[in-house]
Amino acid sequence: MSAYNSLTYNASLCVGCTECMKACALAKTGDATNLDQSRIKIVPAQEPEKFEAAICRQCGDAKCVMNCPSGALTKNGANGVIDWNADTCVNCLLCTVGCVYGGITYEASVGHVAKCDTCGGDPACVKVCKSGALGYVTTASIYNDYGDKEDMFVPGLAACQGCNSELMIRHVMRKLGRNVVVAAPPGCIPGMGTVGYNGKAGAKIPIFHPLLTNTASMLSGIKRTFERQGRDVTALALAGDGGTSDVGFQSLSGAAERGERILFICFDNEGYMNTGMQASGATSFGSWTSTTPVGDKLHGKSTDAKNLPMVMMMHNAAYVATASSVFMEDFYQKLDKAVEASKHGFAYLHLYAPCPSGWRFPAGLTIDICRLMVESNFVTLWDYTPGGGLEFTHPVDTPKPLDSYLKAIGKYRHLANEQVDRIKKLLEDRLSMLKRFQKA
Amino acid sequence: MTALAKHKKMIVVDGNEAAARGVALARPDVVAVYPITPQSSLVEALSAMIAGGELDAELMNVEGEHSVLSALQGAALAGARTYTATSGPGLAFMFEPYIRQPGMRLPMVMSLVTRDTLTPQCVWGGHQDAMLVREVGWIHMYCETVQEILDTVIMGYKVAEHPEIMLPVNVNHDGNYLSYGVTSCELPDQALVDDFLGPKSVNWHVALDPERPMGVDPLVGNAGGVGPSMFVRYRKGQTEAMAHSLEVISEVHADWAKRTGRHHAPLIEEYRLDDAELALVTLGSMTGAAKDCCDMLRDSGRKVGIIKVKTFRPFPALAMRNALSKVKAVGVVDRSVSYGWNSGPVYQDTLTVIGKFGLKLPAIPFIAGLAGADITVAHFERAFDLVAKGEAPPGPVWLNEKD
Repeated sequence: MSAYNSLTYNASLCVGCTECMKACALAKTGDATNLDQSRIKIVPAQEPEKFEAAICRQCGDAKCVMNCPSGALTKNGANGVIDWNADTCVNCLLCTVGCVYGGITYEASVGHVAKCDTCGGDPACVKVCKSGALGYVTTASIYNDYGDKEDMFVPGLAACQGCNSELMIRHVMRKLGRNVVVAAPPGCIPGMGTVGYNGKAGAKIPIFHPLLTNTASMLSGIKRTFERQGRDVTALALAGDGGTSDVGFQSLSGAAERGERILFICFDNEGYMNTGMQASGATSFGSWTSTTPVGDKLHGKSTDAKNLPMVMMMHNAAYVATASSVFMEDFYQKLDKAVEASKHGFAYLHLYAPCPSGWRFPAGLTIDICRLMVESNFVTLWDYTPGGGLEFTHPVDTPKPLDSYLKAIGKYRHLANEQVDRIKKLLEDRLSMLKRFQKA
Repeated sequence: MTALAKHKKMIVVDGNEAAARGVALARPDVVAVYPITPQSSLVEALSAMIAGGELDAELMNVEGEHSVLSALQGAALAGARTYTATSGPGLAFMFEPYIRQPGMRLPMVMSLVTRDTLTPQCVWGGHQDAMLVREVGWIHMYCETVQEILDTVIMGYKVAEHPEIMLPVNVNHDGNYLSYGVTSCELPDQALVDDFLGPKSVNWHVALDPERPMGVDPLVGNAGGVGPSMFVRYRKGQTEAMAHSLEVISEVHADWAKRTGRHHAPLIEEYRLDDAELALVTLGSMTGAAKDCCDMLRDSGRKVGIIKVKTFRPFPALAMRNALSKVKAVGVVDRSVSYGWNSGPVYQDTLTVIGKFGLKLPAIPFIAGLAGADITVAHFERAFDLVAKGEAPPGPVWLNEKD
């Protein structure tokens, strides 16, 4: 196991208040005035009013570790911290020569080197940083937490190359485990072979095809029956946008209104991609699909996408969130909240699933497209609870140009300038509407 | 006073409430409801029983009939005994999950409070709704009286959950005439019903349960993959269970009669048929007036009888042959139409029995009682007269045409 948990420092946000140094000194010596012994040092940069931080980055290929002749410095495989062992240290200080970040230095007052140990994963400095310059990233936390968990799908699901839905359903089920009943309505997810034969093909968990139309109502009956039996079993939907927004919408709306204890995850690839790329109610304006083709008279989809997560928010569901496979920690946090919410109400997760086959982009670019759609504000990552309101979980204040997103995807290749303008206007309107639901 | 009579508890109810009382005695786990005329008072009665604690069941007020049956399928897959009721347009809206239920071999009882179908607009009784789904694979039993509704709902569970059957059962009662017709009937003891039905066993064969993980209803069929044989195996098993259910329905009715003293003909009822020369075939509540007419004509010396179909799907061909072979001519009174044959569905099945067994007798099609029209003794008398003449017109005789 390898992990790269570390502090991060954004110099452009630092105001030089040195609160982090005081917090570190307090945490490590019991005296906030012992700034010499703080393991983070904020120092003036060459530019006026700018600062730099000397702090251990807990490098993956740490020079200090390589330089250490006595084995006193080692990379901790579980949490990624570079541990220093006083008993084996020979005070040669070769480590301090190796580090370009000033992350390990000799402390004369104590007579040996000192370095950041991330306070056991809960760094004191980050907590007091008001400017947001300091952060703590847990890059491999998902791996650490879920790497040993069982994959509930058998190897060899037949998703198209570059499909992120398979990736995401494997993540979801590693997290949820076996105490679950999974509905996979007709579409890409059963199409890739998830509903198989008794654990030998498909999935190792109870899984079934509902109709395209009745996912939420079948799950309602299942959940109510287990509740009646006094059993806490998660009722989960892994559905596409067509079955969710079109023919399946009535049952979805009814289940949300009734507050059924269901976790409903919609994989939005903007259409019926499994059966030949036909348009759904969730297909975005202007998109080429096989039923919104491009010709002299028609120029792709002429209407806007139904925005399902907003519709579910209006149902006052217990939890609603949008998520992207690029921001996995964000997704895992939302999955946690959704599972919890589904114990007392209807939880809805909307996952963006760009489709290389149907959207016409190279299979190797899926993750780039996922990132670009968020960073251009084509979609917005947020979550909502009835009491707490809406919170943007990855706000993008200076979005990348929309054109860079549209031009990367073949289904928008034909767009005229007026169509692009309309999309821009739609996105602006939607963002300002979402902002009205933001937490006060 | 007999031992049986000591336990008698009489109630005065309409057909809808009788169905609800029968359901409550069968102790379903989950009841899903959506109101529709003329079924509404049935699900209202059930809701009230659950609200009052008289019936310990999960009540699901869902947003339409499609979800009603979908929720119940989910519930059954998790092990629940289930119930609902619907009519006409509700049944039409429910069609997608409805056609799936028998293939999943999920037992349940659903009352069809039969109603004629649109269009023209109508909200009144008729068999057209139930007849449109006669080839879907549900067992269909039609009731004649309020008591028969109550009893058949309970018996329906025993048939549906029989381990050799495992199929859904529609217990049909006529909208208006039976749904709102009030009469006295006997309410069986809970203990008697508990003993009769035995323990629930709904999902031993297919389940959605983490304790028994399985993939439910994967793709089967076509020439690739697991091949056509598995699909054929499913279909064949379904049709064999359907055929076998005639035997089980008869056993269950006999068992019920032994316990309650009430004998309902399970498949075909022969009324004053043994020395009859002419007979009318009936279905549902019209049978009462038909029997009155039969008695009246018998009093005047005419040799007439009635053949009532109780179990319409699967069609009890042998029992029908036995009945038809006693008479020289027959008329069939349908409360619905078969557009493809310009007659009624029961008439078509009667012709099939006549042909299949090489019987030689004329059969005349009648259509009556559409959209709540009354079929009176006078109508049946006219039908008997036409059968007596033995002249089959080119199309059906519409008995209410001039009403």
